[in-house]
Amino acid sequence: MVQSLNTNVCEERIFSNLFKTLSKDVHNFLRYKYGDNLNPKDKVQEAFIKLWDNCKNVTPEKAKSFLFTTANNMMLNEVKHQKVVLKHQQVKPKDYTNENPEFIMEESEYMKKYQRALGNLTEAQREAFLMNRIEGKKHKEIAEELGISRKGVEKRIYGALEKLRKEIDGI
Amino acid sequence: MKKEILIQKWLDGELNDAELAAFKALPEYASYIKISEKAKLFEDTSYDVEMEYSKLDAIIKERRQKDPPVKTLNWIKPLMRVAAILVVGLAIYYAPLYGDTTTVKTLASNQKTLELPDNSSVKLNAESSIQFKKGNWKNNREVNLVGEAYFKVAKGSQFDVNTWLGKVSVLGTQFNVKQRVNYFEVTCYEGLVSVNYKGKEIKLPAGKSFKVIGNEIVEDETKDSLPSWSSKKMASFKSVPYSEVINEFERQYNTKVETKNVDTNQLFTGSFALNDQELALKAITLPLQLKYNKENKTKIVLTKE
Repeated sequence: MVQSLNTNVCEERIFSNLFKTLSKDVHNFLRYKYGDNLNPKDKVQEAFIKLWDNCKNVTPEKAKSFLFTTANNMMLNEVKHQKVVLKHQQVKPKDYTNENPEFIMEESEYMKKYQRALGNLTEAQREAFLMNRIEGKKHKEIAEELGISRKGVEKRIYGALEKLRKEIDGI
Repeated sequence: MKKEILIQKWLDGELNDAELAAFKALPEYASYIKISEKAKLFEDTSYDVEMEYSKLDAIIKERRQKDPPVKTLNWIKPLMRVAAILVVGLAIYYAPLYGDTTTVKTLASNQKTLELPDNSSVKLNAESSIQFKKGNWKNNREVNLVGEAYFKVAKGSQFDVNTWLGKVSVLGTQFNVKQRVNYFEVTCYEGLVSVNYKGKEIKLPAGKSFKVIGNEIVEDETKDSLPSWSSKKMASFKSVPYSEVINEFERQYNTKVETKNVDTNQLFTGSFALNDQELALKAITLPLQLKYNKENKTKIVLTKE
C-alpha cells in the first residue's frame, strides 16, 4: 500500500506549493461559475485560510477537492441570485488603426451581447465552456476536475457554444 | 448528429484534416470561430499567484501569532477526555440516588444477613423480604419489611421499618420485627423503639416486646439479648396461637403441615429447633399430645391422639 509521506498540509513548503499550483484554478473555477462581481479572489484567500486552519486533517491528496468544495460553498453562501457578470478586457483601438469607428462600435456591441449571453448560460455550461476555451483544457481534464463524465463535459460545452451563437447572432 | 460530433472534436482539438475541411464548410463556421476567439477576452489576466500568495502568507502569519491553530486542536482532545470522565464519574456517583430499590429475599428454611449502607445489619428469617433505597440512605433510612427480621441499627438519623401492619422507628438499637398474616411482633433488645400501630405510638424499652394477635395487643417481656431464631437457632413462642407455630415450622423446614382435629387457636409457649426436623416436630407435638405422620418429603399430618 502506498502511503503518502505527508499526512497533512501544515508544513509551509507543502502549503505554499499547493497555493502556487491550485490557487489560479480555484480562482478561475469560481469566476467562470459565479462571475466577477462576488470577488473570487477574496474567496480563494478565504478557502486557503480554511485549509490552513484545518491543515492537520487534510492530506495533500485531499487538498484540491477540499479547496474547490470550500470555495464553492463560500460562494454559494453569498450568491443571492445575482446575475453573473464576467468582465472582459476592453478592446483597445490600436493607435495606428485602420479599423474604422464603425467597426470598433460593432466589436464593443458584440462583446456586450457576448457578456449577456454568457450570463444566461447555466453554471455548468459556463464553467466547462470557459475552462475549455480560455484555459485550453481538454475535455478529459475538465471531466476529472469537475468530477463528471467526459460525455457530460462534451454536452455542456457544445450546448454552451450553440446557445451563445444563437443568442449573439440573434437567431 | 454529424455536426455535433464534428464541433465537439473541434472544441477538443481533435479534428483531422478531412474533418477540419468539413467543419470549415459549415455555415456557422465563422460564428463559432469568433465566439471561440473572443472568449479569451474574458480571461482575468490580473490574477497574480505570487502577489495573492504574499497576501495570504501575511494573514496566516498574523493568525499563527494570535492563536496557533495547531495548539487549539491539541488541547481540545484532552479536554474532551476529561469531560467524558467527569460525566461518567458523576453518573456513577449519582446513579444510586435515582436507582431502583434494592430487594433482598429469603426462601423457606433459609436465613440471610445483610449490611445496610451505613453498617446497620439486618438478619432475615426464613421467607422474608426487605426493600430499601441505597441512594440517599444517609438522609432517609427506611426499609420495607415483609416477614421477620432482626435489626442491629447503627447510630444516626431516624431508622424506619415499614410493614403493612405498623411502622417501627428507632434511633440506634437492636430489635426484632415479626410480621405475619394475623400476627405482628416487635421485640426490643437494646435502646428504645417506637412502634406505630394503627395510629397509636407505643414506646418499647429494652427487654420489652409488643405483640398483636388478631386484633388484640399484648405487651410482654424477654430476657434474651438476641432473638432466639438468630442466636440459638431456635424458634421461640410465648402465648402464640398454635397456627402461627405451624406456619413458622412450615417456613423453616419448607414443608406443608396439615392438622386433623387440632385446635389451632390454642396458645402455645415453647420453642423448636431450626436445624433438626425430628426434634422440632417432637417439640411442637408432644406438649399438646399430638401425633405426627410424615406422608412424604414435603407433607406432614398432625393428629390429635
